[in-house]
Amino acid sequence: MATGSHSNRSGTGTFGFDWLSVALVLGGVLLLYYVVPMVSLFLSIPAGEILARMDNPTVVDSATTSLLSASISTVIATLFGLPLAYWLARTDGAVTKVVLAVVVLPLVLPPTVGGIVLLTVFGPSSPLGEAAIAAGFPLTRSLAGVVLAQTFVASPFVVVTAKAAFESVDQTLEYASRSLGKCRWTTARNVTLPLAAPGILAGITLAFARAIGEFGATMMLAYYPRTMPVQIWVAFIELGLDNAYPVAILLVLIAATALLVLNTVASNPWE
Amino acid sequence: MTLELSRLRKAYSQFDFGPVDLTVEAEVLAVLGPSGSGKTTLLSLIAGITSPNSGSIQLDERELVGLPLEDRRVGMVFQEGALFPHMTARENIAYAAAAIDRVDELATLLELEDVLDRKPPTLSGGERQRVALARTLATDPDVLLLDEPLSSLDAPIRKRLRDELHSLFESLEIPILYVTHDQRTATALGDRIAIVRDGDPEQVGSPSTVLTRPTSRFVARFTGNENLFEGKVTDRTADGATVRFGNIQFQTTASDINTSTVTVCIHPSRIEIEAPYIADGDRTANAVTGTVSRWLNEGSEYRIDIEIEKGAITLTANVRPPTFERLALENGSEVQVLIPKESIHLIPEL
Repeated sequence: MATGSHSNRSGTGTFGFDWLSVALVLGGVLLLYYVVPMVSLFLSIPAGEILARMDNPTVVDSATTSLLSASISTVIATLFGLPLAYWLARTDGAVTKVVLAVVVLPLVLPPTVGGIVLLTVFGPSSPLGEAAIAAGFPLTRSLAGVVLAQTFVASPFVVVTAKAAFESVDQTLEYASRSLGKCRWTTARNVTLPLAAPGILAGITLAFARAIGEFGATMMLAYYPRTMPVQIWVAFIELGLDNAYPVAILLVLIAATALLVLNTVASNPWE
Repeated sequence: MTLELSRLRKAYSQFDFGPVDLTVEAEVLAVLGPSGSGKTTLLSLIAGITSPNSGSIQLDERELVGLPLEDRRVGMVFQEGALFPHMTARENIAYAAAAIDRVDELATLLELEDVLDRKPPTLSGGERQRVALARTLATDPDVLLLDEPLSSLDAPIRKRLRDELHSLFESLEIPILYVTHDQRTATALGDRIAIVRDGDPEQVGSPSTVLTRPTSRFVARFTGNENLFEGKVTDRTADGATVRFGNIQFQTTASDINTSTVTVCIHPSRIEIEAPYIADGDRTANAVTGTVSRWLNEGSEYRIDIEIEKGAITLTANVRPPTFERLALENGSEVQVLIPKESIHLIPEL
C-alpha cells in the first residue's frame, strides 16, 4: 500500500516508500479515532431509550446546574476578561508578557490543581470561606463554588481569543474615530467592538464550552450541586457505564452546538 | 487660525525628533521629506496620537499638548483613508457630522453621491480618499492634516484629485499640513513647502524658493537639484559673484555670499540647450559648449547629461521634446549650454 500507483509526484523515497500515502494513512487513522467512538456512543443505546431517560430528575438537575453555572461563569469571564484582553492587545512590553503568562496559567494547569489552589482561598477552612459560610453564602458545595471553578478554568479562553480579535482591529481606525471628536467609549462601541465581534464571540463560545465540560476543579470545590460531568462520573461509578450515556450524549450535543456557532457567526480562531 | 509649534521634541530609541519650531497660518504647508524623515511623527504629535517629550503646540492661544485627540479639533486624513470597513460611505461621513445635511453637502462637493451606500472595500482608492476627506471635513476642524493621501493612487487619478484638492484647500481658510514625499505634489498644492529631515524643517519657503534657492545640499538633492558642484568664489561685485568650477568661470547674481568655498547648485530645468553655432546674443546667460553623453526619455521631458571640458564636469539638463527633436540630439552631439546668471545658486560652505 505504501507504493500506490498515483505516487509519481510525491517522490518515491530511497527506500521505495511513498511518503504522501503514509501521511494520508496516519492522518486518516487519527480522524477515525475521533469519529468512531462518537458514533459508537450514539449507537450503544436506542434513541427511544435516551429520550425516555432524559426526564430523569438527576439528568434534568445536572443539566440545569451546568447550563446555569456555565452561563454565569461565561458572563463573568466576558465582563472581566474583555477590558483585560483589550489592554493586552494594545500594550507591548515586559509587563504585558508577564500578565499574559498569568492569564494562560489556568489553561496549562491541571484542573485538579486549579481546584486545590482555589480551595486554599475559598475553602471552608480559609478565612474568606469561613466568612462566606457565616454569611450564609458558602463558596464550596454550592452553585457559587461551581461558578468559581468554571470561571477559573474557562475565562482565559475569553481573554486570549478576544485579545487576538482586538489585535486584528487596526489601531489607526481608533485614532481616526477619536480625531473625529469621539471619546474612547464611543469609539470602542462603534468601531472596535463591532469589528472585533466575531472573534470575541468565538472566545465566549470556547469559554462556555470549557465551563460546561469542567470536571477536575469543580469536583474539588463543589461535588454538589452536581454538574453534568460530575453526574456522568457518579453514574458511571455507582450504576455502570450504561447509566452515564444520556448525560454524555447531552454534552456531545452542546459541544456540537458550540462548533456550529464557531463556524457560522463567530470567527473560528483555529481556522 | 494660526498653528504654532515651539521647541517641540520627541525622543525615540532610534532617532530624536525636533526640536521643531514652525508656524502655519491659514495656508497649505506641504511637508516634504524622504521616508523616515519624521513627517508622520509631526502629524501624530499635532493630532495627539503621540505625546511630545517637551514643547508646545498652540492653536490661536489654545494649548493642544495634554489634550486628548478627541478634544483637539484637529482633522486628520490618514494614508490609506482609515475608513470604518463595517460602515457605508454615508455612515462613515455621518459618524463625524454634527448635522445630517452636512453629509449630502460634502457628498456633492466631493462628487460622492453615487457611492454613498457602498462599503469601503468596494470603493476605488480615489473614492476612498474622497470619503475620508469628506468625513474629516464633516467635523469642521480648526486644522487639517493630510498624510500622503494620494501616494497609493494611480497617476491619472492622483493628478485629478490633486487639482480638486487645490481648489478645495483655497476655500477652507484653516492651517493645512500636507505630508508628501512627492516634490510635484508639494509644489502643486503648497503655498509654502517645508523640507524635513529628522523631523526638523530644514528649509521653509515658497515652492519656487525651495526649489531654486535651497539652503543646504540635503534640500537641493531632495528637490531635484542634481547639479551640485564644489566651487570657489573668485570675484564679487554689486551685481553678483563670479564662481569657478570645472575650470570655468560662471557669472551669478548671488550677492549675499561671504565664504569663498561654495556648493554650486543648478536645477536641471533651468538649463537651456542650443545648437553650437548659434551665437550667444543673450548676455545674461553663461554659455559653454559640451557633448551629450547620455539621454533618457522621461515622457514629458528628456533628461540629458552633457560633458563639459572633456568631462571635467557633467551637467544634467531637462529638455522639452520639441527642443530635443529640433536639435536632433543623440549621444556625441555637440551642444551649447546656456545657464542664466540667476539660475546658478550658491550655497555657502562653512
